[in-house]
Amino acid sequence: MRTRKLIAALAFAGASILVAAAHADNYEIDGQHAWVTFTIKHGIYGIAHGQFDGVKGAIVMDKADVSKSSVKAELDVASIHTAFDQRDSDLKGPDFFNAAEFPTISFESTKVEKVDDKTGKVTGNLTISGVSKEVTLDVKLLNEAQAPWDATLTKAAFSATGKVSTADFPMAKAADGFGLGPEVEIAIDLEAVKK
Amino acid sequence: MSALLGNPMVTTAALPLLLGIALALAARFVLPAASPVLTLLWAALLLFFYWDTLGPPGMPPAAASQKLIYLAFAGIVIGLLPERVLGRATSLLAVIVFAAAFLWLGWRRLAGGSLDLQLIAALAVGLLTLIGAAMVVAQEASPSPSAEEPFLAPAAVLALSLAGAIVSVLGASIVTGQLLGSLAALVGGWCLVQYVVMLRGGAAAAWSRGVEFLLLYAAATVLVQVALLAPKANPAALILSSLPLHVVALVCGPLQNLLPGARPLRPLVAGILIAVPAILAIVTAIVWAPHGAALGFS
Repeated sequence: MRTRKLIAALAFAGASILVAAAHADNYEIDGQHAWVTFTIKHGIYGIAHGQFDGVKGAIVMDKADVSKSSVKAELDVASIHTAFDQRDSDLKGPDFFNAAEFPTISFESTKVEKVDDKTGKVTGNLTISGVSKEVTLDVKLLNEAQAPWDATLTKAAFSATGKVSTADFPMAKAADGFGLGPEVEIAIDLEAVKK
Repeated sequence: MSALLGNPMVTTAALPLLLGIALALAARFVLPAASPVLTLLWAALLLFFYWDTLGPPGMPPAAASQKLIYLAFAGIVIGLLPERVLGRATSLLAVIVFAAAFLWLGWRRLAGGSLDLQLIAALAVGLLTLIGAAMVVAQEASPSPSAEEPFLAPAAVLALSLAGAIVSVLGASIVTGQLLGSLAALVGGWCLVQYVVMLRGGAAAAWSRGVEFLLLYAAATVLVQVALLAPKANPAALILSSLPLHVVALVCGPLQNLLPGARPLRPLVAGILIAVPAILAIVTAIVWAPHGAALGFS
């Protein structure tokens, strides 16, 4: 009798997990279709632009309960480029992103909030050069669809924007030493492949 | 005034040069060169330039650049130990604290696992500065010092710092370049006054063991950080930058015969000999600069 009850309980728990999992879709960031870009005030003049090419990570999207969604992403610091080699070297150096000591920048969400059917806010810890700061990104789901040329391929596309300050990370001299920022505007466009 | 202090050429060169001159004048007219008060003044100036170039200390320090000021502070604490304690164990202490500094600054880099040319150069610089510093601090003060003796350790710190500054800036690590430049100017100001004193027939003041230790430690740890982390620093130039410390031992030994008999020329020739590896380092860094010898953030 006790064994039957236990089996029934386990079956119920298993079914519940399956139902919950059915709502959550797992995606892998498509590094070939990911643009993580930033802009920062350059001295007393204009706006400088940069981009990280090396992007990877995973997204869990739960449409039924958005708060159960999550994002985990990693940027390869060595992949930074700003359309000028010498500046790229400077940015990889210890004055800025310090690629030799901290080869990756990571982001891990701690909270996802729904704003409307297509937009939300993703809050998480952004870790640069070993220092983590909470950052909130405004995220928009652009589309989610099966590829017309491949029935096995489903992708979702997102846009996200946010702001950070160089003063929050071990590059505090960026502003008063080099006249950069300190505010950095982040703009992300990426596609993710459903697993 | 704030615009003047915001100019990196002022804080990296002019201000430390003037402060080095002021310290040397203080050692000449106000305080004995071995006074702990003078050591404290050196320490205060050192921390000022660390703070000015690296920003306020991060707690806990995550990046190596945030650890530098703590290492400088450790060097100051050791430098303030009584002379009799330092005198007995300075070489051993130097080996221990230099090795500890290298491991603390470089553990992430070493744990990264890729033994590339840059890391090999960093390991060489770490080892050479450790041995060189131990050799410099092991030199005993003579009862009747020769004309060049008070200049040997300062010349080594000056040459290492100046070469390190240029290698650092050309290697895409500008802040450490500024810091080493400040150290070079500070020590340069001291040397300038001492040389004028000697030319006027006086005796140049030597650094106390404490000052010698804290300045050697500061300059060498910043150079190690450059070697570990500056992405484009020339490996050969880095190794050459660390060699002035070793030439000090040679000038006290086999190269002694190269020093002229004329008293005013002896510190000059000794200084030039100590600076030879530093000059080669600067030339190497400039000739093989990855982006040409353009200095400054782009």
